[in-house]
Amino acid sequence: MNEQAALFKDKQLGFLIYLFVESVMFATLFATYIIFTPAPSSPRPIDVFEAKSVILSSVFLLSSSGTLIFAEKGLNVRESKQNLTGLGITLLLGLIFLGLEIHEFYKYVQEGNGLTVNVFMSAFYVLVGLHAAHVTFGSGWMILLLIQYKTMKQSYQLYTEKQRIFQYYWHFVDVIWVFIIILVYLPYLL
Amino acid sequence: MTIPFFGKSIFVPSDIIAAWILSIVLGAILFIYVMNKRKWPLIWEYMRTTNHRKIGTMYILFGVIFFLRAGTDALLIRLQLAQPHAAFWVFQQEKYNELFTTHGTMMIFFVAMPLLIGLMNVAVPLQIGARDLAFPFLNAVSFWLFLAGAILFNMSFFFNSAPNAGWTGYAPLSTDTFTPSVGNDYFVFSLQVSGLGTIFTAINMIVTIVRHRAPGMRLTRMPLFSWATLITSFLILIAFSVLSMGLYLLMFDRMFGTGFFSGDTGNPVYWQHLFWIFGHPEVYILALPAFGIFSDIISTFSKKRIFGYPAMVLSIILIGFLGFMVWAHHMFTVGLGPMANTFFAITTMLIAVPTGIKVFNWLFTMRGGVVKITTPMLFALGFIPTFVMGGVTGVMLSVAAANFQYHDTHFVVAHFHYTIIGSTILGIFAGIYFWYPKVTGKVLDEKLGKWHFWLFIIGFHLTFLPMHVTGLQGMPRRVYTYQWGDDLFALNLTSTIGAFLMGSSMLFVGWNLYKTHKHGKKVGNDPWDGRTLEWTVQSPSQENTFEPMPIVKEMDPFWYAKVSGEKLRTTNNTRPAPISVNTILPFCIAFSLSIMSLGMIYTWYLLAVLGGASAFLLFIVRSLTDERKAYDLKEGHSNE
Repeated sequence: MNEQAALFKDKQLGFLIYLFVESVMFATLFATYIIFTPAPSSPRPIDVFEAKSVILSSVFLLSSSGTLIFAEKGLNVRESKQNLTGLGITLLLGLIFLGLEIHEFYKYVQEGNGLTVNVFMSAFYVLVGLHAAHVTFGSGWMILLLIQYKTMKQSYQLYTEKQRIFQYYWHFVDVIWVFIIILVYLPYLL
Repeated sequence: MTIPFFGKSIFVPSDIIAAWILSIVLGAILFIYVMNKRKWPLIWEYMRTTNHRKIGTMYILFGVIFFLRAGTDALLIRLQLAQPHAAFWVFQQEKYNELFTTHGTMMIFFVAMPLLIGLMNVAVPLQIGARDLAFPFLNAVSFWLFLAGAILFNMSFFFNSAPNAGWTGYAPLSTDTFTPSVGNDYFVFSLQVSGLGTIFTAINMIVTIVRHRAPGMRLTRMPLFSWATLITSFLILIAFSVLSMGLYLLMFDRMFGTGFFSGDTGNPVYWQHLFWIFGHPEVYILALPAFGIFSDIISTFSKKRIFGYPAMVLSIILIGFLGFMVWAHHMFTVGLGPMANTFFAITTMLIAVPTGIKVFNWLFTMRGGVVKITTPMLFALGFIPTFVMGGVTGVMLSVAAANFQYHDTHFVVAHFHYTIIGSTILGIFAGIYFWYPKVTGKVLDEKLGKWHFWLFIIGFHLTFLPMHVTGLQGMPRRVYTYQWGDDLFALNLTSTIGAFLMGSSMLFVGWNLYKTHKHGKKVGNDPWDGRTLEWTVQSPSQENTFEPMPIVKEMDPFWYAKVSGEKLRTTNNTRPAPISVNTILPFCIAFSLSIMSLGMIYTWYLLAVLGGASAFLLFIVRSLTDERKAYDLKEGHSNE
């Protein structure tokens, strides 16, 4: 058990450093967005953003962190049902968020505000799009975890590690979303 | 040269045809050699290995190969500049732009980086008493990503579309408006792929150094090369992440019509900021490991503990920290204003302080020591004056007002070659000679090594010392010719002669390798009378090192054990070692990503999707075939 714990701690540290790398990357894109927004030509952010869609997608994504914590509690006490329900709902919330994101992008493009309209829209898409890609990746990861949990061809301990690493990732993606709300949307919606 | 191609005739420059012929001939020779000597199992073994020494060996091997390639570029540049109005072969105008772009990019990303990372792979785990890097699988992924990026970058030349916007890829030149060919797309994707590998290596090194040290190997007892590796890895984490995002934005500008770096609302200077926030720390990413290598070598061959160890560690940290605060000194002439220029001038000058501390400490280490002039030590001795000269011109360049005169002249070229060749390349040579026994079990021939050193260092100064003068006389960099009336002929010819002297020194390296492997004798664990733990393990190092694990009680533990005539105390009670596996997955992941990159470069999106999907599929396979599973079962952990 001690050996397992040591190897897990390596992985934990490595993954946290990786998340640091990701946060530097996102910070660069946030800087890009702040520098180029608002652009001298239209559209302005205020013409594009809608409070309703931001609030709605935030509700789904941010609550998914809560359901993941619920799942973790089940994982710790080996409550299979609780863990599966928690993970399942998290996945569902993530997918709904993705649907809303795609809808939002689609609507913007329909309104004629695509990637190349002006540098503000470009900076918006490369940042929020990269975040959406992270949610997509996370959703795929969750499906893989659910399959591994169901088949359980490894020790429970090893599975636990995998889910924990995923949890760091998912919470991190949520934190980035909080920053997106604060830095991307909020200044132009208030 | 015009070649008929499926009914059409296409124009191909003769240098590319020559390169194709040369590559095919060399490839055929290599193939026949491998067939005759039945080396396939060995190649297959190395393709699947996750062992740190073997991966390090591959890093060094390919680093040297790309060194020869990028060095050939340098010789071609020098031939074109040998005399005024020269028209050497095809290397004028656009071709010349491609030449200096590939020379710079390859030397930094595919020569200096892999060679240093290779030495880290070989030496760091052995120095700190780790049995491997913390994540052996990830280490293999890093290596194959580096190689995939490097091969991708080289392919561009063979398809007559080498990048041509300089290694700095300054916008707007690097955007699709001004360089519409795929050359700079190759630049973007090859650096992106290999950069990812570098980031993974940095993570691996940090976790290894933080968590896998031998019992008693406190951070305050750690050899300086390991210290330099640790700090360098932190620099990589930040610098390469910023580069990655800069390239990501450039990709959107080039391929998807955005305008971050050009056009009415974009900002070319923003690219310069992003690039140099990466680029300046990168300079220290190259220099710090070399400092570490020299510290260990000077201490070993002076038979003395390094002078001022705490000051040495602190100055590494300080250089790393200040390295993030100087990037705009590359942009003094952009017009950031007097306040910004003053700030960056002062931070730049400050870096001279910790660097000066290091130089004095190296000198004081030798003072009163029993100095033995071996080849690695010779390189270390050559490094000190050379690097100091580069440092002095660095301080000259940091004076913002004077910088307007030096900017983009050969004076700058002289300066950064004095620093990068002076520290990184000499450090790499020193490191290779020093740790060669740990890689192969043989010591390289000393006499030929000294020939290599003297030819290289004389050639080096002959090449770059005159460039200070030509630069001050106003010769601009990245321009393929000059006039008779400029009075630059004699100095440029001297540079060209020097460059060939440097090039010829590499022949001695080849001869040395041949001679050592033909006639060299196997050496023991400790051919140099070393001080640190790597000299306690077998040469070459085996897969199960440190069994039993030594207990460290002081700095330079092996040396003091030898002095007191005792053996190092050992223990069997250690933390679990990283689990080594043999797997082809890392190779496949890198291969998929290069297919994806090719698809993106040529906008064959179907191919890109295929490559990307296969990479994700391989991630899933990786997750399902985790080496820990088998390990768990073997160790008898039940499923309870």
